[in-house]
Order: sequence, then C-alpha cells, then structure tokens
Amino acid sequence: MSFRKRLLAGLTLAIGLGALVSAAQAQDVPSLKGKRIGITVAGTEHYWDLKAYQGQIDEVKRLGGIPVALDAGRNDSRQIAQIQTLIAQKPDVIVEQLGSAPVLAPWLKKIRAAGIPLFTVDTISPYSINDTTSDNYSIGEKLALQLASDIKGRGNILVFNGFYSVPVCAIRYDELKLVLRAFPDIHIIQPELRDVIPNTVQNAYSQVTDLLQKYPNKGDIAAVWSAWDVPQVGATQAIIAAHRTEVRTYGVDGSPDVVKMVADPNSPAAAVAAQQPYLIGKTAIDNVARYLAGDHDLPPYTFVPAILVNKENAAEAAKELGQS
Amino acid sequence: MSSNLIAEQAPAFLDSSADLEDRETRRARHRSQIIRLGSIAALVAVFAYFGVAAPGFANLGNLANIVEQSTVLALLAFSMSIVVLGGGGDVIRGGIDLSLGANLGLCAAAFTVASNAGFSDPVAVAITLAVGAAVGLVNAFAVVALGVLPLLATLAVMNICGGAELVLTQNTVISANSPLLSYITGASWLGLSMTDWILVGAAILLIALVHGTRWGLRLQAVGGQRQAARAAGLRVSAYLTGTYVAAGLLAALAAIVQAARLSGSSPGSGDILLSVVLTSLMSVVFSRRLLPSIGGTLLSVLFIGGLINGFQLLNVSSYWVNGVQGVLILFVVAVRSLSLRRGSV
Repeated sequence: MSFRKRLLAGLTLAIGLGALVSAAQAQDVPSLKGKRIGITVAGTEHYWDLKAYQGQIDEVKRLGGIPVALDAGRNDSRQIAQIQTLIAQKPDVIVEQLGSAPVLAPWLKKIRAAGIPLFTVDTISPYSINDTTSDNYSIGEKLALQLASDIKGRGNILVFNGFYSVPVCAIRYDELKLVLRAFPDIHIIQPELRDVIPNTVQNAYSQVTDLLQKYPNKGDIAAVWSAWDVPQVGATQAIIAAHRTEVRTYGVDGSPDVVKMVADPNSPAAAVAAQQPYLIGKTAIDNVARYLAGDHDLPPYTFVPAILVNKENAAEAAKELGQS
Repeated sequence: MSSNLIAEQAPAFLDSSADLEDRETRRARHRSQIIRLGSIAALVAVFAYFGVAAPGFANLGNLANIVEQSTVLALLAFSMSIVVLGGGGDVIRGGIDLSLGANLGLCAAAFTVASNAGFSDPVAVAITLAVGAAVGLVNAFAVVALGVLPLLATLAVMNICGGAELVLTQNTVISANSPLLSYITGASWLGLSMTDWILVGAAILLIALVHGTRWGLRLQAVGGQRQAARAAGLRVSAYLTGTYVAAGLLAALAAIVQAARLSGSSPGSGDILLSVVLTSLMSVVFSRRLLPSIGGTLLSVLFIGGLINGFQLLNVSSYWVNGVQGVLILFVVAVRSLSLRRGSV
C-alpha cells in the first residue's frame, strides 16, 4: 500500500513535470507529413469519446498526416471488422480508443503481429507502445475520498458497475473499493446497478427512481457513484424528481453539462472528476509523431492531468477546462 | 361454379385470356430479368470501381476479409430468406423473423456461459444449437399454432430473447476461450480462414437444399401459393415450422462464429437486425423471380460488406455507409413495389 502511494506520488510529480515539459515542447512535435494514422474508436456518442477522437484527428491533420478515422458506433462487431480492414491497409500507426478489453485483446495482438505500431487512448493493453490517459488511479481515489468525506464516512451508496470490462472503469471501481475499506460504515447496496449503452441517462433515471422508492426514507441512501458521468446525469435527475436532494451523486469525465450541475449549489451532483479528453487525444498523436521520428524510448503511459470538480471549485474549474 | 359455367360457354374468351396472361407473365419475367441483370451489373461496377480506386481492395487477403466480416450477417440473412420463402413475401402478412438478432445474442451468451461453466466444446455447441432451435420452435408455435402474424410473433420473441440474454450476461461482456473458438478465428485452409469456410459451406448446403431438393421446391410452393400447396396435400404447417427452426439453428451457428470473433459474448448483438432485413430484402433483386434466394442473399451480403470495406479503404467516413444503406433499402423496396403493382411476377 505505502509503496503504491509512493509510486502514485512519484507518478503525480512526473505528470506535473511531464505537463510542463510537454507544454514547452508543444512546438517541437515532429511532422507527420505523408504518414497515414489509423484511428479506431469504440464510439463517439459521449462527450469524452468525441472530444478525444476529434483531438486525435485534428492533431494528425495539424502535423500534416492523413487520418484514417473509424467510429464503430458502440458496436463491437463493427469495431473488430474495422480493425481487421485497417490491418490490411497497413497504416504507419494504429491508435485505438476505448472499448472492451477482452473483445479487443486478440485483435490488438494481430495489429502488432502485422508489424504495425499500436498506440492506445484510455486503453491499457500489453500490446500498446504508449497509452495516453488520465491517471485513473488518482481519479478513482480522489472521487471516492470526496464521497466518503461528504457523507461523513457513513451510509449506504448505490454503485453503477456495468462496464468493469472497460479497464479505466475497472480501475476507478477498484479504487472506490480500496478507499471504502477504510470506511467500514459505508456500504454498497447490493446488487450493484448496471449502467447500459445506449439510453444511459433514461436507464439510470429509472433504476435510481426504483431504488429511491425501495428505500423511501431520508438517509436510506447517502450517495450514488458511477464510473462515468452519463449515469450520473440520470441519477441526479431522478433524485431531483423524487425530492430526495440529500442524496449526492459522483461521476467521472466532466462533460460540460455535469460540471454545470456540480456548480449549481442546489443540485445533488456533488462532484465529478473532469478529464481533458481533447488534450488526451492530441497528446496521443504527439507521442505517435515522436515515435515515428525515431523516439522509441516513450514511457508506457502518458498521464494528462484531471481536475476533481466539487461544489467549492466548480466555477473556477470550468474556466480551467475551457468550458465557460 | 360460375367460372365453370363461363369455361363451358366461352372457350374462346378463356383462350384469349390465357394468351393475355402469358403475355403478362412474359413481360413480368422480362422485367425481373432486367432488374436482376441491372443489379448484378451495379454490383460488378461498384466492385470494379473499388478495385481500381481503393488501394488494396482487390487483394486476396482483403477479399477474404470481406467474406469473413460478412459471415455472421450472411448466416442470419439466409435464415431470414428461408423464413420469407416459406411464409410468403408480403411484408406485413408474410414470413419474417425479427427475433434473429436477439437470438444471435442469446445463443452467443449461451455458448459463452456454457463454455465458462466447464462444458466441453461439443456440449457447448449442442446447448447453443438447442437454444437456437428452441427459439425457432417458440416462433413457429406462435405463428403456426396460435396464428399470430409473424411480424408480431417474432417481435415478441425478440423481446423474450433480449431479456433472456440480459439474465445470462447481466448486460456485461463475458469473455470465453475454447479450442473451438481459437480454431474458428485462427485456423486457415487454402488462404481462407475457418470463418470463411463456414460461410462457403453453409451457402453451398443451403443453395442445394432450398433450390435443388424436393423439400426446397415445396417450401417455395408453400410460400408462393399457400392454399394451392395445401390443396396439393403439402403439410403447410410442418414446412412453416421447419423454416423457423432452421432459422434458429442458423442463428445459433452465427452466434458461435460471433463468439469466436468477439472472444465471448458482448451486449448489442440485436443491432444487426436492420442489416439482416436489408440484405434479405435486397436479395430479391438478385434473383430470377424477384423472390428471396440463398444465392441472391449471399450476393447482397457481399455487396454490403464490400461497400463498407471499400469506403474504409477509400477513407470515406464510416458515417456515409449508413446513408448509403438507407438509399439501397429504399431503392430495393421501390423496385419491388413497382413490380408488384404492375402485376405479379
């Protein structure tokens, strides 16, 4: 545990330094002229996905490369077919963003077996040369600590855990469980909830509405946690509709509508860990450009800083995130 | 009675009407021939264009990829075509199986769960086929025994399958790994993967069965003229039941291929239904009498697969593919409606 803490502290420092360094080096990114960069993403209907996708495409174009950009529309079969065709196209690099790890693993392996360098965005994979992502360990930990402290270390919480197969969601969930070990009076209501795609908001709304009826008394439920912020939107709306605004909601990503909800002093949305998806996409491509220019000494992870937005810092954070 | 009377009294009139019918039939056949040749020409033209303009399109490896990517859709579209052949082509009252996509998801989940529960591949395959066939039987019971419109019966069964899949998987990705799954994705023969061979084998078998055997011809009779088929002594309900069960079995086979490609079961299989309906509808423009056929279905599946692949190779946004599919479906339905309005084919 303490070793992990030290590691995290070290990483945080490294990220801080990395951010400074990358800011200084922004103009030094090598050109991608004549290079074809395959970009395959699981879907783009969510703010985070779309921004990270656009960040990649824009940066490839800015650096003079040709993006072969493929959006699978949240359909695993389609993404696999797109990756299969992409391998046959032999681009200079393939960048993969999100999706289910077990589904993707054999196909990411095939990318490497075909001799094509693989980079990932927000996807941990042994086949990836570099994964550009937020530090999800720190995100999960900070969000869980904020929750625990807001509810004074006591109460029952609802947890949406539908996407444990997506590695970043698994990390955030595991960090929540780790933090909760120190708070024996916080209990996760069983069974856990499953968030779904599509109709995430409506589905979360109806699930939370049902559970608010099942636990009708003030104090029965202290908070709702989800690994991203779209279920958080549905949960927050359901809580408002049921006049149970003592229940707080927590999520990850920081879509502008959720940051606004957190900024509203009357909203049950208590905190959201806001990432910088556009910058993540852009940074991933900068790493690709460095690699293709001969820098084969890239770190396995590049962390882009995230901000925990809560009731106190929401207005300021929105500015920092470029959302206001 | 009255027609007999007319037949006795006015043989001359009947003769001329038969002549008229002949001419009409000939004209209709002519029209469908033009549509068929036109469609095949369009397919050849599109593929030739991709061959020249899209880098790597005509490579053997890429063509094998197209076949591989089309296998799951093709197996389901074959199912749909068989059901339409047996139930008749009327979109509202005729044969249709809307549960195919959901059945695919349920069977993939069944295989994955059975495999993870420690069952060997042959047992897991048997369980999966049994689930697929059972779904087909439920469809058949609703359509044949209860007399529910296939459109509504299979819509209801679609929901049942979707719910059962959620119960099995809790709407999460479940990964599976078995020698059979690795074999389907990994092994290859004569440059084609096992997935390719499954499609080739299924297509040959079904073309022979549906278009070359007595069962197949009688099935088409049941779909074309149900009353006449019944009058001729065919057991119409047995044929109809057969089509839904065959569709269920093919969905189970497709599910095993999908489980191999996705390393298990993944939510969202039902999304494929629209493509299944589209390709089955499209198949009529590739066949001689504007009726669905296995060969026509195969061509339309490869057409769609080639289109998606070619667009990607040309670096045209994948968003365009949806639009083009919509235009195609409109075109096909329009051609069919026009030809139906101008007289039966």
